[in-house]
Parts: sequence; C-alpha cells; structure tokens
Amino acid sequence: MFTHSIRRRLVIGSAALTATALALAGCGRSEDTPSGGSQPTTTVSEGPATGNLTVWAMGTEGENLPKLMEQFKQANPGVNVTVTPIPWDAAHNKFTTAITANTLPDAAMVGTTWMGEFADLGALDPTPQGFDNSGFYEGALNTTKVGGTQYGVPWYVETRLVFYRKDLAAKAGISTPPTDWDGLKAMAKAMKEKAGAKYGINLQPGGDGSWQTVMPFAWSAGANITGDDQKEFTFDTPEMQEGLKYYQSFFTEGLAGTALPPNQTEAQFVNGQVPMFISGPWMAGSVAKAGGDAIKPNIGVFQIPKNKTSTSFVGGSDFVVFKSSKNKDSAWKLVKFLSDPKTQAAWFKMSSDLPAVKSAWQDPSIASDPLLPVFGKQLEDAKAPPAIVNWEQVAKAFDTEIEKMAKSGQSPADTAKAIQTKASQIGTGGS
Amino acid sequence: MLLFLAFTAGPVLGSLGMSFTDIRQRDLRTPFSVNGVGVDNYVKALQDETFRKAAFNTAYFVVIGVPLTLVLALGAAVLLDRGVKRFQALFKVGYYLPVVTSIVAIAVIWRFVLSPDNGLLNTVLGWVGIDGPNWLASKTWAMPSLIAMAAWRNFGSAMIIFLAGLQGIPDSVEEAGQIDGAGAWQRFRYLILPLLRPTILFTSVTTGIGYLQFFEEPFVMTKGGPLDSTLSVSMYTYNQFGFGNYGLATSMAYILFVVIAVITFIQFRLLREK
Repeated sequence: MFTHSIRRRLVIGSAALTATALALAGCGRSEDTPSGGSQPTTTVSEGPATGNLTVWAMGTEGENLPKLMEQFKQANPGVNVTVTPIPWDAAHNKFTTAITANTLPDAAMVGTTWMGEFADLGALDPTPQGFDNSGFYEGALNTTKVGGTQYGVPWYVETRLVFYRKDLAAKAGISTPPTDWDGLKAMAKAMKEKAGAKYGINLQPGGDGSWQTVMPFAWSAGANITGDDQKEFTFDTPEMQEGLKYYQSFFTEGLAGTALPPNQTEAQFVNGQVPMFISGPWMAGSVAKAGGDAIKPNIGVFQIPKNKTSTSFVGGSDFVVFKSSKNKDSAWKLVKFLSDPKTQAAWFKMSSDLPAVKSAWQDPSIASDPLLPVFGKQLEDAKAPPAIVNWEQVAKAFDTEIEKMAKSGQSPADTAKAIQTKASQIGTGGS
Repeated sequence: MLLFLAFTAGPVLGSLGMSFTDIRQRDLRTPFSVNGVGVDNYVKALQDETFRKAAFNTAYFVVIGVPLTLVLALGAAVLLDRGVKRFQALFKVGYYLPVVTSIVAIAVIWRFVLSPDNGLLNTVLGWVGIDGPNWLASKTWAMPSLIAMAAWRNFGSAMIIFLAGLQGIPDSVEEAGQIDGAGAWQRFRYLILPLLRPTILFTSVTTGIGYLQFFEEPFVMTKGGPLDSTLSVSMYTYNQFGFGNYGLATSMAYILFVVIAVITFIQFRLLREK
C-alpha cells in the first residue's frame, strides 16, 4: 500500500500547506473504476425458484416478511427462504460492512436514499429484462435508477401530505382544503386566529430529515437538486429560493414554531395546539393511537399545495438482488413475486405498507380507505432525491442550513447559496 | 508482545497512516485505489468552519465543565469526610450512582428536568416567578444544560478519589493546625489542599481527558443542535466516519489526540510535586 507513489503524494501534500486549494484540486482521485453503465443482459428463467435464499429486511417489514414468504414457498416448493430482520438504526452500517466483507445476503430491502451509495460500491445486480416497469409509480421507479442503470424494483412507497384537523378547520371557517400556496398560508393563519391553535402548522425548523419537508415546496416551485446528468448540484436557483422563502415565512409570521419539543407532533395535533403537519401515511395510525377513536373522523389530508406543480416527496424501500448472490435466478424470481400486484395488495394487508405497483391500489382494502386514495393521487406527482453516493452527507448540510434559516433568520438567498457551496464541496461522489 | 502489536500498535499506526490518505468507505474493498494526500485532511479539518465550531464547543465544555465537576467532587468529598459517619456509605452510593447508570437512562430523566413546559427545572423556576427558557432548544442554554448534566453525572467518580485522598491525610496534620490557631478555611487552604495536590492532578487529568472526548451527552440529548451549538469534536468525527470519509475522520481524531496530549502535559507541569 505504501508505495513510492504515496511518498510522492506526501510531498505534494506538504506543498498543500501553502497552496491548499490548488492541492485539493490537484490531488483528486484518479484511479476510480466506473461502476455505473452496466446494462441488464440477463433474463430470469422460467419455472419455480429453488435452493436457499437469504433475505434481509428492516423494521416491521423484517418481522412481517416471513408470513409473506409462506405464500412464496407454496408457489415454489423447492425454495427455502431465510429472512433476517435488522433494526433500521443498524441497517446502513450492517449493509456497508457486509459489502466490504462480502457477506451479503441474496436479496434485501434497501432504503431508497441508499441506492446510489450501494450501487457505487458495486454491490447491486442490475435488474434483468422482463420486469414490467410501467406498473410502478414513476417517482418510486426513479429511486432504483443509478447512472441510467436500474437496480432492483420499488417495493413499497410512502409520500407526504398535509394532515389537518377537520373539526378545527370548520371552526376556522374552512370547508374545502386549500390547493395552492396562498391557501395553505391562509389556512394556517385561520387555524391560529380563529380555531385557537398555538401554531397554524408544524413544520420542522431544520434538524434530521427536515429536507423531506422543505424539498416538496422547492420542487413545487420548480427547483431541482441536481442537473439532469446528476453531476452538478443546483441548489442556488431562484426556484429554490422561492421555496425556501415560502417555508421561512411560516416561521417569521409566527405560524410555525421553532422550538417545539420533538416527538410531540401527534399529541399537539390531538389537543389542537398545532392542528396541521406534513408527514407520511403512518401518521394516520399514530395520531389515532394518541387520540383514540374520537380523533379518527377528524383526521383529514390534502395534497401538497400547488405553486408551479404540487410535488411531494416519495420515500419507501426498494428490493434488490446482490451481485455476490450464488442463487441470483431464484432471487430475482422472489423480487418478481414481491412486485406482483396481487402480492403487493396482500402485503399491504399484512404490513400497511403502500404498494409501489399502481394497480394494487384498486384492491378494496386501499380504495375504500378514507385517507389512502389521496396518497395514491399524490404519488402521481412525487419526487425522490437523485441516487447519488454522497446524498446522506449533502442532506445533513441541507438540514443544518435550514435550521439557520428557520431559527436565526438566515435569508433564503444566503441559505440557498450556503447549501450550494457545501454540497459542491462534498460533491456527488462516485465516479 | 505479539498481541500488543496486533491489537494495539497495529490499529493505531494503521489509523495514523489512514489520516494521510483520501480513503473512503468504498476503498476498503479496493485498497489499491487509495492515494496519499499528505496533510490535506488536517488542513481541510482545520479550515472546516463546523470543525472549528465543534472545537470551540468542546473547549467551552472543558473550561467550564472540568472545574465545576472537580469543585462539586471536592465539596462532596469534604462534606462526606467530615459529616456524620453513619450516613457516609449511603451518600457515597448516592453520589456515585449516576456514574454507573447508563447515559440513556440519565438522558430520559434530564429530558424531563429540562423540558420547557412541565419540566422540573422550569416548574421550580416558575414558583419564584422566572419564566425558564426551552433549555435544550436554545442556542444559549443548550450547552450550559449539558455541562450541568455532565457535572452531575461525573462528579461522583472524582469524589471517590478525593475522599480516598482526604482519608489518607493523617488527623495529626489538622490537629497541628488547630493548635497553631488556624481557622477551618485556613486549615483547608494551607494544609489539606497542598497535600491533596497529587489527587487533584490525577482527577483533573482523568476528568479533563474524559471531557475533551465529550460525546455522549450531545449524542443522546441534542444530536449536536440547535445550530451546532452542542456539536463536539468527537461527535463531528463520528459523523464523518458515518459518511464514509475515513481519511478526514481519522485526521480529526488525531488532532483531538494531540490536543489532549498537550493539555495533559501542561496539567502535569502545573500540578506536579515541587
């Protein structure tokens, strides 16, 4: 490892003390091997899956997946599937360690924002031909694409909507939910002034994951995280500033709080202190848990209000097969089974995970729900961040700057500029 | 010797070497793509605004936290040494309990104490007409809150050592002072304190090193926020490891190492036996 080239670079490095900027640019890595670009050439064979398969899944999915695997085994008697549940907190580390040590399972559930990183590490097997990609929501399908190659398939999705208290909205004189930016602002004001709320809406004032609430506004104003080729960040644009300005105005006008205690969203929604927030489908359940049956009929949702578009954030998980798998053919058969509309509807009933396949939404268990069809509609216009290697790091910088904007009054223009500067320093990563 | 080389010297030298390269997580599979970059990582770390902020926060924590902890510990030790002997064991256990309690459990209790609306601290302040701040969400108060929590949690271990030191001083020393007409404070200041010098050196070095590696309190209480006001060097280093920036992270760890070594050296110079 310590060859003369290292010594040579050490010399260059000490010159960097005087000319850092130059050295930083000059000592870039040059020996990267391109990892993207491999096209799917394989196809999945006919016939049932066989042999042993190991599968990793996180959180409640890991606990529920064995039930679904019973159905898979019935159709494929020759297969034996072992599911290992992994806690979400430990998952990212476990995956990267396993990638390094070559101890990966055959297939796994993978968080959508990790796809870029894992693909860059060369761990993922490109999706074979013969998958019906037209059935997936487009935003969800895009999370599987890294540098033009598709890895795995979307498994389940979630998207963010505005939750509101129907009874308090009526008290505030609002009978139909707003559809545009002005409407949302007016509603937050009315909630505060007429319905006795402390704050009109709960918006995250920076901190972990706040980009997921900020970006829908920026996307709706026409902003993008990167250019089309996903090589350059485009945070410092008038569109981004417009989104940030709108987001900040809720704090400066006292319609959203900067110091709300964490993990109190449900409680404050139930007691009417903060009767609106933006979040995903799981919140319907946790609000009902916090407020009991009485609150259920008063939970309303509406789509992200419109500026140029009404674009929300799409998250969820993809299902992938790893390159190192010794039983790839059967692993892909499992993935195919998981993305079948019937399986997706069955899985919804077991896990409450929303299907990534559009046709599964026609299942009565979803179509007759009072809230879920709105999520389905929002999914038609929902985006995920591009699958870039350094996304987690960029997101962290983004969250920090949003915190400065919401809490200490940093201007939207400066915020956009600071995010752009930091993101460019971090780089998109990969090759 | 072999074990020492394999499990201690090897990793230390390895990580030192790592800090002079541009190694990232993905390079662990392909070690030959790693380039030496000299001191670039160190320059980068020192130029990083957030790292400097973390360094400032850590200094703040150490400069206020270490003396506070030691004074609390010494005070408690003196009281225990002089106090009613019957309850000594009880108080010893009581003060030492936070040291052995898991930080996660402590965090739960302190979150309740520091909670803005119905927290213990603000309730008590309310009785005397003070409207307490939202401690952990305030840029100004988050760090003092963590310092208070750390001092409360850690003074017990220094206290035990002070107590041992105090009990090692023969009673005859104080009796001699008494005969010479020295008051309680004078006896403490001119007899006890100088004799405690080695104990003070030991506790200030160990507490100082512990506090320079300030990590757990912000990790469980604030995640370094609000606005990075409780971000410590250790925590920032940890974050960089999480992002896979191994080269940069190890260089930060070594910067902290050098600072700790220098400060410990100064402490030894100031407090050693003359």
